[in-house]
Amino acid sequence: MAARIFKFTIGSRTIVFDLPHLAFATAIAAWCIWFCQDAWRAQRDVENLILILPASLLAAILYVCVAAGCIRIVSAPEHDAASPRHPLRPGMATKIAGTMALLAAYVIAAPLIGFDVVSFVYILAMLLFLGERRILVLLLVPTLFCAIAIYCFDTILATPLPLLFFAGDAS
Amino acid sequence: MIDLTALASAVHLLTTSWQPWMVVIPGILIGLTVHAVPGLTTSMALAICLPLIPYMDFLQALIFMTAMYAGALFGVAIPAILLNVPGSAAAVGTTFDGFPMAQAGRHNEALGLALAASCAGQAVAYLLLLCFAEPIAAFAIKLGPPEMLVVALWGMTLIARLRGRHLARGLLAGVFGLLLGTVGLSVRGAARGTFGFDLLLDGIPLVPAIVGLFAAAELFNLVGHDYIVDDLTRRRVDAGRILAGMRDAFRYPGTLLRGALLGSCIGILPGGHAIANLLSYSEAQRAAKDPEKFGTGDPRGIIAAESANASSEGGSMATLLALGIPTGGATAVMLVAFGMHNITGGPAFMRDHTDLVYAVILSSLAQVAILAVIGFGFIFVAGFVVKVRLRFLVPIVLALAVIGSFALAQNMAGPITLAVFAVIGWLMQRFDYPVAAVVVGLLLGRLTEGALLRTYQMSGGDFGFIATRPIALGMLVLFAVSVALPYLRPARAHVAASRQGRIV
Repeated sequence: MAARIFKFTIGSRTIVFDLPHLAFATAIAAWCIWFCQDAWRAQRDVENLILILPASLLAAILYVCVAAGCIRIVSAPEHDAASPRHPLRPGMATKIAGTMALLAAYVIAAPLIGFDVVSFVYILAMLLFLGERRILVLLLVPTLFCAIAIYCFDTILATPLPLLFFAGDAS
Repeated sequence: MIDLTALASAVHLLTTSWQPWMVVIPGILIGLTVHAVPGLTTSMALAICLPLIPYMDFLQALIFMTAMYAGALFGVAIPAILLNVPGSAAAVGTTFDGFPMAQAGRHNEALGLALAASCAGQAVAYLLLLCFAEPIAAFAIKLGPPEMLVVALWGMTLIARLRGRHLARGLLAGVFGLLLGTVGLSVRGAARGTFGFDLLLDGIPLVPAIVGLFAAAELFNLVGHDYIVDDLTRRRVDAGRILAGMRDAFRYPGTLLRGALLGSCIGILPGGHAIANLLSYSEAQRAAKDPEKFGTGDPRGIIAAESANASSEGGSMATLLALGIPTGGATAVMLVAFGMHNITGGPAFMRDHTDLVYAVILSSLAQVAILAVIGFGFIFVAGFVVKVRLRFLVPIVLALAVIGSFALAQNMAGPITLAVFAVIGWLMQRFDYPVAAVVVGLLLGRLTEGALLRTYQMSGGDFGFIATRPIALGMLVLFAVSVALPYLRPARAHVAASRQGRIV
């Protein structure tokens, strides 16, 4: 993710907007305000709001300070060196987004389908995604991981995990 | 303070039979290994071993559980240092300097430091418990909501210290964490911030959230690299450097002792073990002449966090043995084991079985020495993590974290929390927000809300109430001094410098 900076030039001055950061800070503040409103709606008494109300107000004030920092007025020569973040290395944004997407898919699919199959597929997909191409390694690592992890959790730790093929061993 | 007759009886109990000692090594090993999996907790390991308890006599059972507890207290430091994965809230402070040391190729020294600090912290705590078990218990019973509130406020000052380069972002992150910590049912049963999901009624699962914020977010950043330590020559696992790290821990006796004492005191409070490491880290940073070095791989950070984490065990054992009150999940499971032997912890237990209490304390002191040896071997093996290519390590650790989160929560709330907080953690890192501030807020949210509410109810809104609570007042003064001192020091130095200037 490259640092996306939006700018407007007025005369010799440039107004620089750090929109990704502003969006993130807004999301945090919006959640805080929504949470306060939700708590207020659920029960309007001291017991419920003694911490939430003042903390949410503080969050709103802090958001204003952070948002103000996202908008800067600089002179034109300053602007070129004014990137607020280090840019990611080439290809990193894709790798990070892919890792996040695969994690999200794993988290949703594993409890629904079964940790045995989905863990195998997840490790295999991640290995391929991160550049592993040796067939033996691609088969061996997910198989060993699944065998050891499922045996430890399901049998030794007697933790019931949703499984597709080995269901019923623990419980 | 020490009942010498009971002490002699305890020595007799421990030396006439080898049976109590048989369980020490397995206990320590279980404790060490359980935290290799992100998401697994000490209380879970203790609970899994509960079926073994009826087959042991009471002393053996207690020694087995304290050995597991001791192993686990150090075990959490290993993934915290090597992978930036704090297996529990008790290891959050260890990540601050542990992982930067590992990334700089100083993983051997960092692990050695953590082991020595952990052993020393436990030893100090058990020595204190041996000498002052009854006074500690008498003190613990006087602590109520106002005192807890002061401790929580003290913990929250850490948020300001963890602000990083931007104060407003740090504070916003802390407040965000504080509010996240209060998601779920209120004391009067109102559901807040649950989006209608019943799974969130108990609040946001803490361990998956912490693992997501720290570990998964860090692992996202590592996907483009080959190894945790880029330089091949620095990837060696070196026994000599581990030993050097262990020796280094004693080069900072003040940091070590302060951490151990703070951990012992905070450990007696419910939930205290989770924040002891953070408070100790904060105090070490405050007391340092060069606080800017903390967070960049400073050995003092590891020593402060680990000594407090380990010594909090002694404090929580004092409350368990003397009052029969568990201060956390692990001691709650221990109390169940008491029940399996028809024994109830509390003042009567301390009075009638003083020899047993002393035997547990003495065996725990011996466990410290055994932990130093076993822990050394364990970290020698664990240190090889830096030699594993990240293309293998990242998916395996992420998958283990997801499975561990599911096992802990027993529903989808665990894995979903982990994934959501992983993304939040990565974005926070990207926009230069201190992730640790969210964690501190998460840890303290419920604690602060409960203590604030009960204090309000006790006082009826009268601020003068605090004057009737001498311990809270004393803690408040200490807290105020601790907050003010960093600002007073430069002012004093400035006055001294200007006086010197006038003399010259």
